[in-house]
Amino acid sequence: MVDLEKLKTAARETVSRDDVKYLIGWRQGTYGFRVSPHFVKEPEEAEKLIFSPLCTNNLATYLVLTERLPLPRGEQPDSRKVALMVKGCDSRAVVQQLIEQGIKRESVLIIGCPCEGVIDLKKVEEKFPHLPGPAQARWSNGNIVFHLPDGDKEVPKGEVLAAKCLSCRYPNPVMTDLMLWEEVQTRGNDEYDDITELEAKSPQERWLFWEDKFSSCIRCYSCRNVCPMCYCEDCVLDRLNPAWVFRSNNISENTAFHLARAFHLAGRCIECGECERVCPVGIPLMKLNRKLAKEVKEKYEYIPGLDPESKPLQSSYRPDDKEDFIL
Amino acid sequence: MKEQFEPNVVAFLCNWCSYAGADLAGTSRIQYPSNLNVIRVMCSGRVNPLFVVNALQQGADGVLISGCHPGDCHYMEGNFYARRRFALMKELLEYVGVDARRFNMSWVSASEGSKWKDVVQGVVEKAKEAGPFEQFRRNKINW
Repeated sequence: MVDLEKLKTAARETVSRDDVKYLIGWRQGTYGFRVSPHFVKEPEEAEKLIFSPLCTNNLATYLVLTERLPLPRGEQPDSRKVALMVKGCDSRAVVQQLIEQGIKRESVLIIGCPCEGVIDLKKVEEKFPHLPGPAQARWSNGNIVFHLPDGDKEVPKGEVLAAKCLSCRYPNPVMTDLMLWEEVQTRGNDEYDDITELEAKSPQERWLFWEDKFSSCIRCYSCRNVCPMCYCEDCVLDRLNPAWVFRSNNISENTAFHLARAFHLAGRCIECGECERVCPVGIPLMKLNRKLAKEVKEKYEYIPGLDPESKPLQSSYRPDDKEDFIL
Repeated sequence: MKEQFEPNVVAFLCNWCSYAGADLAGTSRIQYPSNLNVIRVMCSGRVNPLFVVNALQQGADGVLISGCHPGDCHYMEGNFYARRRFALMKELLEYVGVDARRFNMSWVSASEGSKWKDVVQGVVEKAKEAGPFEQFRRNKINW
């Protein structure tokens, strides 16, 4: 069960430590069901921390997005830890970053929050439109209770949970320094049914589907920026000389952009669903990522973000990898 | 008479095996289709999967990537990495609806001039069947 007092106490203790720079958690957003990331630098700021079904954001992004400005001469870099609150999926992002050596184990302190599933904001806003002020929510015996201005509303989980949570395999953080409350039960076993469904169509039908989706892309790069795995300092999509993907917004460049983005996450995507959540035009990006995750699982029996000792998929090989596609 | 469609196939050949194999086919005067545009790279592991996407954007109807047989790589393990990469890239391209016949990969060693001929014939034949690639070809840009 979620114990907010325990969470706040743990946060206060963590932030008071000398070797911790700050703690990243969630707090109430400014309106509706929104939740903001909360950077706790002083113990008293821990009061604002929350953990509820509204905490959709994957905070692992902030570990790798930190701006590293050049230091003044003679100054040492700040080597203190960053404490991070993680759900199950977020913890896999951290582990994957460790696998890729994007971050160092000693520079991060992982606070695990076993999670019973977070909401899909679009589904909830459809259910409760035009909310005047901020609203809250909590888990309760398999349902989600929303605290709205006109009283509490209890909704079955199945109606409002995000798709990734309905078939979540890892609701409990896979690696933590501190687990805040007891672990929850695994909900589902992901069989990639939606991917199989699309695969069964003919190539023409699949292209029509993707052409429609890709042509609506406005190339805002939100999907890349929010992704906890997209942290290359020199991104191929930003290159100008040579320009791998032109900036013009047409079906050719949009397709190349989406193929490049999806491919760069092959064997790395931990399926937190952030890219799809932030997409302003609703492109089903997880259908691309999950296709590759499915292939990686079937071909190489590899699931990213579980074992920090494992090697990244695409920088390792087995001599007996399948090669039935080679002439 | 209707003119027959001649596909434009881009081939990335590794310097040590496939390029030498193609060279052998040439010096042995083996006849094979001339639809191929060969790009020599140092290793099949050097081929970025985005090369394939880019080739298709810029007017290729088919792509062939060819390297040394597994275990024979001049750089010990380059083709093993390439194999993983392109197994996934092939799945991804097919998943978004690109014809499966457009992407090909083969292992051709320096002594396999006749195998090279068979591979090229097969690839060109498949590209011909698939027809001109138009799904996400880049339009001519007039600056």
